[in-house]
Amino acid sequence: MDELKKTIIAGAIGFSVGALIIMLYGYDPISAYTALFNGAFGDLYAFSESLANATPLILTALTFAIGFRGGMFNIGAEGQLYLGALAAVTVSLFHLPSATGFALGLIFAVLAGAVWSLPVAILKATRGVHEVISTIMLNWISQFLAFYLIAKILVDPLRAEKTVSVAESARFSLLVPGTSLSYAIFVSLVAAIIVYLLLWRTVIGFDIRAMGYNPLAATYAGMEKWKIILFVFITGGLTAGLAGAVHVMGRPPTYAIYSGMPSVRGLGFEGLAVAMIGRNHPIGIIFAAIFFGGLLAGGRMMQLSAQVPLEMVRVVEGIVVLFLAIPELIRLLSFLRKIGTPVVLRSKRS
Amino acid sequence: MNLAYLWGIFLGSLHAMVPIILTGAGEVIGESSGLFNIGLEGIILMSAMTGALGADAAGPIVGLLVGVGTGFAIGLIFGSVCTYFKGVQLIAGVGINLFSLGLVTFWLIHLGVPGHHAVAEEARMVDISTPLGDFSPMIFVAIGLPVVIYVLLYRTKLGLKIRAVGENPQAADVAGINIHLLRLLSTAAGASLAGLAGAYISIDWLGSVTKEISAGRGFIALATVVFSGLNPLLVLLGGFIFGFFDNLAVWVATMPAVQKVIPWQFVSMVPYVVTLLVVTGVIGRVRFPAAMGIPYERE
Amino acid sequence: MLKEKSDPVEGKLDIILAGKGICKGFPGVWEHLILDHIDIDIQAGEIHALLGENGAGKTVIANCLSGFYLLSEGQIYVKGNPVTLKSPRDGIRHGIGMVHQELALVKPFTVAQNIALGLSSSDLSFPLPEVEDRVRELSEKYGLSIDPLARVEDLSAGEQQRAEIIKVLYHDPEILILDEPTSLISADAERLFEVLENMAEMGYGILFITHKIEEALEVGDRVTVLRLGKSMGTRETAKTDRTELVKLMFGEHTPVHLERKPVKSDKIVLEVKNLEALAADEEPALQGVSFSIREGEIVGFAGISGNGQSELAEVITGLRRATKGQVIIREKDYTNHRPGEIIRAGVSHIPEKRREMGVIEPMTAAENVVLKDIRVSPFSKRSFLNISHITRHTEEIVSRFGALVSDLWKSQTRILSGGNIQRLILGRETWKMPRCIVAIYPTQGLDAKAIGHTWELFMRLREAGSAILLVSEDLDEIMALSDRIAVMSKGRIVGMFEGSGARREEIGLMIATGASKT
Repeated sequence: MDELKKTIIAGAIGFSVGALIIMLYGYDPISAYTALFNGAFGDLYAFSESLANATPLILTALTFAIGFRGGMFNIGAEGQLYLGALAAVTVSLFHLPSATGFALGLIFAVLAGAVWSLPVAILKATRGVHEVISTIMLNWISQFLAFYLIAKILVDPLRAEKTVSVAESARFSLLVPGTSLSYAIFVSLVAAIIVYLLLWRTVIGFDIRAMGYNPLAATYAGMEKWKIILFVFITGGLTAGLAGAVHVMGRPPTYAIYSGMPSVRGLGFEGLAVAMIGRNHPIGIIFAAIFFGGLLAGGRMMQLSAQVPLEMVRVVEGIVVLFLAIPELIRLLSFLRKIGTPVVLRSKRS
Repeated sequence: MNLAYLWGIFLGSLHAMVPIILTGAGEVIGESSGLFNIGLEGIILMSAMTGALGADAAGPIVGLLVGVGTGFAIGLIFGSVCTYFKGVQLIAGVGINLFSLGLVTFWLIHLGVPGHHAVAEEARMVDISTPLGDFSPMIFVAIGLPVVIYVLLYRTKLGLKIRAVGENPQAADVAGINIHLLRLLSTAAGASLAGLAGAYISIDWLGSVTKEISAGRGFIALATVVFSGLNPLLVLLGGFIFGFFDNLAVWVATMPAVQKVIPWQFVSMVPYVVTLLVVTGVIGRVRFPAAMGIPYERE
Repeated sequence: MLKEKSDPVEGKLDIILAGKGICKGFPGVWEHLILDHIDIDIQAGEIHALLGENGAGKTVIANCLSGFYLLSEGQIYVKGNPVTLKSPRDGIRHGIGMVHQELALVKPFTVAQNIALGLSSSDLSFPLPEVEDRVRELSEKYGLSIDPLARVEDLSAGEQQRAEIIKVLYHDPEILILDEPTSLISADAERLFEVLENMAEMGYGILFITHKIEEALEVGDRVTVLRLGKSMGTRETAKTDRTELVKLMFGEHTPVHLERKPVKSDKIVLEVKNLEALAADEEPALQGVSFSIREGEIVGFAGISGNGQSELAEVITGLRRATKGQVIIREKDYTNHRPGEIIRAGVSHIPEKRREMGVIEPMTAAENVVLKDIRVSPFSKRSFLNISHITRHTEEIVSRFGALVSDLWKSQTRILSGGNIQRLILGRETWKMPRCIVAIYPTQGLDAKAIGHTWELFMRLREAGSAILLVSEDLDEIMALSDRIAVMSKGRIVGMFEGSGARREEIGLMIATGASKT
């Protein structure tokens, strides 16, 4: 409950600052936020769009969340998802029968993501290289690799600005016709549930959480750090690769990647913010992803009717994350606003 | 491949190394005091934007100052969150990056030209023309600054205090030093330099602002700091190396002969691959302040 | 600026530093105040010894008097004037200098740099040359030879301490507080005492904190004894003796006698041979420890903490590297094996720092109870946790060991009291009747009833054949439970007593002096 309160407080601050900025630019925050809400959850179309946006975000958020639970800062989802998407497209080059093509697309995407996360895990476990630096570098390397593959190897012979499209038989069918929402949403939801079960119902998940909270006590209880590092990064790579696949195999209308990767870009980092706001818990992540997906969908509406550029949502995201960095956020604000109740006792002795 | 050509590459590297050196040297101050600022990327981006706007309004010098001010302000926020409010440094830094990305993109759209803002000709920094080529004055700043910072950190009492706070805050506390304040100011100073770097990119070097204008340079600067072992003079060296590779990609794109053999995408990768290799090789032998990354509490 | 030592009039000198009614509590779960209404005064020109066991509160009161900690209650007087000390800087301003037990030196810096740190000169200055000169001057004056250009991490422990003292003297204090100054430099202790006596002659007021009775008697003019946060009184060293001080430090007692049958078996469960290991700061922590524990035997390690007991436990349980020697468990060599293997070999560990090592505070009670057993059936089957079994097991442990928990799966263990956490740990570590138990300060912070239950538990485990290594600072506990008693000092076993024949005073003395029996 404390976690929820903290998220709400941070969210309130974020939206307030956003409103302030909107006003500073001469727009009306009330109409902006109304349009935002309508565009996100106002009708079936809007809600479907929100869910479609949420689909890959759930997965990239899981990548970060698993790492965070294990005490690590895995921000490599971006690079891993590029390769996942490309792997899924690659499989389509081979014109396989439908079920096989579909399955293989997913499998190779997932493997691509996992492979790209291996160097991070190995470097950390053997040389102690901080994963922040290694994942960022690999993200950039992956981006240029992707540019190359998109332009030279996977390029669509008829339209040079994009890759070949994923074969029709290998795509996710639309869940709600006329929208962007495909059955891929179920993949994301199932993945979230699997991660939940993994972290709270298996031995390895227990070890991950223990190691994340207190590496000393975990080691003393018999757990081995390098095993956990490896598992955490590979699993994170799996979900990130899946995010890439789910996007390119499930998102109309093109089911392909354009050069410059405009639609895939940023899914990794958005996932990070989703994870933080979802408090790194799979269930929280589902809601946070829908919230973010809603912000994006609603953002377009906000841009249309209230003329507020949709990037405002990212500003709100950033502020919320910044405030979530403060562990005693509730206590801090209860000085100012007499809201929350004092947080958990902190005893340093005994 | 003649001398003029090589000299051109060298000159380009000098320009490219400026943001990395400025940011890296600034981060050395911050990390020496114990705070690890992953939000440098966001600061560079934000000050590229504010600096450009400042330059448009009142000329390049003002633009640079606005950039510095932007960095300072963000540094204060980040520093306060991480010291007085005991915030988690990595998360706060990520928040800064997200916020900056959002705000800059928002701003670019608001200015009417989606995604791209070119700084007006008269607002650009004027290079010093010499027979050897056009040098930006900032290149000299970038060469001189690490020396100044080195002197500050290793030859003044203030530098002693900063390093003590990062190394053994308890001992510094006993000596009567205000830990939180010193960390806050060190980080803000470092962030100011990152702000200067951002403004340099938009006003001087590349002349425009896009949401990708920082291109990972904040993170490359972090890696350079690792490489330097918190020695500002080595940041100068590391900055040049990375600047060289950063610039190389551009040059290769203009050389059709090389293009046939190595596609430009792979050349663009090189700065990041090099960074990764260097960090891997160096990481075991580099010594960080013992108390870096850990919020300080007295009792 | 030191006052001349006033002429003693019936032994009364000017009081230069005094504390009245000083109380200190830390937020948390101590069942008593860390400092409980302490009155103390130090006269100019005297060396006042503050004597007490570990945990008595000596360092805490020193920190309060120097400004490092804030008082919860009470008042400090400097030269008769009430002052409030909000930071170490305030202390320095009032002429109070403190030499901490854990030296407040920045290791990669030189001595001069460390001293320059605390100066109030301009930040842009580089005062090193003057500092170096003055250090040499002070070095001469007080007979504490030290090279100002040496880096602290290159100096020996004794030299580091001298550097720390000079650093404090640099600010011209009138009052000097030294926290366990001889813990690092036993060989140079004599020299230090000379220096201190000289300074007392010059009119300084010196507060000398120690746990060693001999030192207090030798160097102190007066001695105040602290026990569990309370002052037990002040005596003039000329008018008191060892016996009285031991009584004040450890208290009167009624020896507790628990029913025990003699140790039946001869089978050695745990054997340690010539164990050597380093502490966290690379100083030697264990310097050749050898002993063995049989089935159904309790060997109690007495002594002030910090003499290698923690490191011994850590080496045996696989958390610290042994640089030499062996750890043999049931005749198999387990030296430097991983903690997991040692756990599987049947060794349980009740750790010293229960909140940092014994439990994972953000996790729930149930998770902490199965922390070690979780990968074994029936707690998990084929990698999946068997929640119902874990719940049943935890309920049983909680009731059997009397732990007070609000729920098993929802609240963080962090919110439990230290005593309840310890009950959970005891439950977890002993429910399987393990072959070997390493118990470090197991009843620290527990109330009398809990202590009694724990003692009964250990006796039952002993009956059932467990070999128990018990480390405790509570001499009553050691004497009540142990079949044999070892005293550790500076990483060595300096004495081994048979439980039945041991005399409390003898052991207490050995602990307090750290001297060998012979």
